[in-house]
Amino acid sequence: MRPASPVTDSAEIAKRIASLIGGDHVRAPRGAEARAAAVIAQPADPAETAALVRMCEADAISLAPLGAARTLSEIRRAPAALGVSLARMARVIAYEPDDMTIVAQAGISVAQVNSAMAQSGQRMPVDPHEPELTSVGAMIAAHHAGPLRLSEGTARDLLIGIQFIGHGGAMIRSGGRVVKNVAGYDFMKLMNGSFGTLGIITEAAFKVRPIPEFYALAIASFDRAAGAFDVARSFANAAPLAHLEVTSPRMSVALGLAPTYWVLAGISGTRAEIDYLRGAIARASLAEVEFLAGDDARRMYCALRDCDFADWAIGAQLVVPPAALAGVLEACDAEFRAHAGSGIAQIITREPPAPDAARAIVARWRELARAARGHLRVLRAAPEIRDAIEFFDTPNHGALELMRAMKSAFDPVKIFNPGCFAGGI
Amino acid sequence: MNRNGTVTRGLDAGLIDELRAIVGADGVVSHSSELKVYECDGWTIEKSAPDLLVMPRSTEQTSAILSALWRRDVAFVPRGAGTGLSGGALPVEAPVMICTSRMNRILEIDLANRRVEVESGVVNLHVTNAVRGAGFFYAPDPSSQQACTIGGNIAENSGGPHTLKYGVTANHVLGVTLVLASGQIVELGGACEEPCGYDLVGAVVGAEGTVGIVTRATLRIMREPQAHRTLLATFAGAEAATRAVSAVIAAGIVPGAIEMMDRLIIRAVEEAFHVGLPADAGAVLIIELDGLAAALDEQAAAVTAIARSAGASEVRLARDEAERGALWKARKRAFGAVGRLAPNYATQDGVVPRTRLPEILRVISAVSTKYNLAIGNVFHAGDGNIHPIILYDERDPAQLRGAIDAGREILAACVTMGGSLTGEHGIGVEKQGEMPLLFSPDDLRAMTELRHVFDPRERSNPNKIIPRPGVCVEVAAPHRQVPV
Repeated sequence: MRPASPVTDSAEIAKRIASLIGGDHVRAPRGAEARAAAVIAQPADPAETAALVRMCEADAISLAPLGAARTLSEIRRAPAALGVSLARMARVIAYEPDDMTIVAQAGISVAQVNSAMAQSGQRMPVDPHEPELTSVGAMIAAHHAGPLRLSEGTARDLLIGIQFIGHGGAMIRSGGRVVKNVAGYDFMKLMNGSFGTLGIITEAAFKVRPIPEFYALAIASFDRAAGAFDVARSFANAAPLAHLEVTSPRMSVALGLAPTYWVLAGISGTRAEIDYLRGAIARASLAEVEFLAGDDARRMYCALRDCDFADWAIGAQLVVPPAALAGVLEACDAEFRAHAGSGIAQIITREPPAPDAARAIVARWRELARAARGHLRVLRAAPEIRDAIEFFDTPNHGALELMRAMKSAFDPVKIFNPGCFAGGI
Repeated sequence: MNRNGTVTRGLDAGLIDELRAIVGADGVVSHSSELKVYECDGWTIEKSAPDLLVMPRSTEQTSAILSALWRRDVAFVPRGAGTGLSGGALPVEAPVMICTSRMNRILEIDLANRRVEVESGVVNLHVTNAVRGAGFFYAPDPSSQQACTIGGNIAENSGGPHTLKYGVTANHVLGVTLVLASGQIVELGGACEEPCGYDLVGAVVGAEGTVGIVTRATLRIMREPQAHRTLLATFAGAEAATRAVSAVIAAGIVPGAIEMMDRLIIRAVEEAFHVGLPADAGAVLIIELDGLAAALDEQAAAVTAIARSAGASEVRLARDEAERGALWKARKRAFGAVGRLAPNYATQDGVVPRTRLPEILRVISAVSTKYNLAIGNVFHAGDGNIHPIILYDERDPAQLRGAIDAGREILAACVTMGGSLTGEHGIGVEKQGEMPLLFSPDDLRAMTELRHVFDPRERSNPNKIIPRPGVCVEVAAPHRQVPV
């Protein structure tokens, strides 16, 4: 039963958790974690995680699943009473190279998953920002993806099974360990991008891909954004690309490039494919194209993937139909890194505006996104302006009603990362 | 009384009049002889005709129909082209069938964004036909693609041979217009890569019509690969063929498709269509490589060498588009050809990790012997997605019972090997009883809760997917004529 008043005292919460999972596995938050949660618990397994959920439901303790806490520390207005770290649930459970599938606990980092497969020449190709710090659970829950989304997809496309701990501590599984499976309702997609509001993801199964033999990067500089997007489009039409980004001047500088608009088009494959793709891109370009290969290409790709938005006053993700992206970005008048082939861009403003101005900036970006049939989600905001900003865009009325019903069905006590999602969910 | 002068069971005349007013007289079918056509889909083992068929022409008509049913608490079953193979469109305590086939317009082709917006009654192949001239295609390609509808594909999360490389329906649907059982119209997802809020499109695709009726969809189209190389590899037996499949994948090659046909299927296809398959072969693989022309010859040589070292007696490269077309025609018409071998056949759909294919084929062979029923195999080998085709004669009750039991035994073996009950055909009514092999009571409860978010009264396609504990299906569904 829900008590009359929720337990909010951190010392009391820590004491109760210690009695469940042992005092060694409860700790105070470190650094940025403090903005996400007041106390951190590190359960050993799904059963302990389930016990935590039951305790939180009984005492109305708000609970947020955390990887490295980089997502929630940027968007929670107040810390959750309890953060659940899966740092102790970070094993590969089953890797079957010949089946091209991997099952792992959600606390493992994306980089660790990939290093387990490197010897077999395979990878789980979703490439979020700083994969060494991004846990598999965080990648799924926050729908993190990087440049390779263009050719390899996101967790949405590669997840084949999931386990999560939901209401009542129930351990729920959906999907399985095979690459093709339509048995039962699909919780993989529902949990993907649900920001910990429906339960705690404890395990995930993915289909994996071969690592391409070679990778190279075509880069070209432009004075104007329009020129860069035109050429990006001609590259995409000329050849299947591994990824396709356009960066604005200040983002380009962060990559070690001149302060102009740059197109960065990745190509991958066998030697013969790379040779063909280089030719096709060179022919498609009206501008001068430089090709990076080997370690130079890889370094630039990593810098592009790991572009850091943490220092900026407001960072947001714009999502529109791909052909609308250039026009919307121009109207937004912001610095950006654009996944040009996918219609997605991270846009930023540097100087911390006053709260009112911040609200106006986000509102204007959002209006531009919506006018193009898209939407905008704020990724981070400086603490002094955070209260002025709506982080999530609001879905249309009918969809939002269903989402609220979904939240009520799966989190009736409202403990899972409350108030931190679209429509106030 | 309905317009044909017969009484429609259990439905009041007021409702029928109201539905006629919504869709017009020609959009309502109530005569039992006409309704008999709709008594089953591709799962022919069970039959149950609806009491009434309604054929809306628009989202608004669909909404008005469902509102009228909701007010009277009448359940309905959505139907596309009726090509489904698990009884998803079989009415089970759902007197009204709603057929989407009149909503068949392609609304917008947006090549710049690689999107197509269609009504849900559009035939799968018509999407590709509409964009092929511009060099694009719609990737999910079930064998029934000349007939099946996008709405049916969305309900079942359909696959096809080329899903090995390009993914299933869920990977290609960006947005839907969904009419809830209450009649409310909701827009989910849209033209963008990422949803705003929860990914409800992901929850709707594959829900087998239990969350309402999809009337429109925004689909992703892909650029046609620059070139194809289609190989036909001949083996003495199915096991050697499946070993070749694992070896190709292990070599880091991801073909567009790898399909297998065994001896029984090869013979049936040859007899029916004379496409030039080696009639004495134990098994053949169709391996299609696609991508940049520059790389394909090298890849084709590698695949040829792998197939030969796995025991292929011959590996033939399709010389031109006509030969390639003939191979695919053979593969996609295999099910039809099998119809010549026995009065009836049941197509099973199971999945195993692809390295377990040799093992599951041994199980299928043993099951065939045990039940004394011929079983052919034609399947998506690259995905580990098997389709044993069990031949029987429904006039012999023992054979019919055997066909059902044989299928269940094969599925149980798939699950034991770490696989699944269905790769692309869905659970429907066919596999409800097997769901507990794969999912715990907590899993099934969560799935039911998910469904209730969309349809709390279970009016849309009731009695599908989730087994009803303690209730015998036949008792729960008095209208169903389970002929066993």
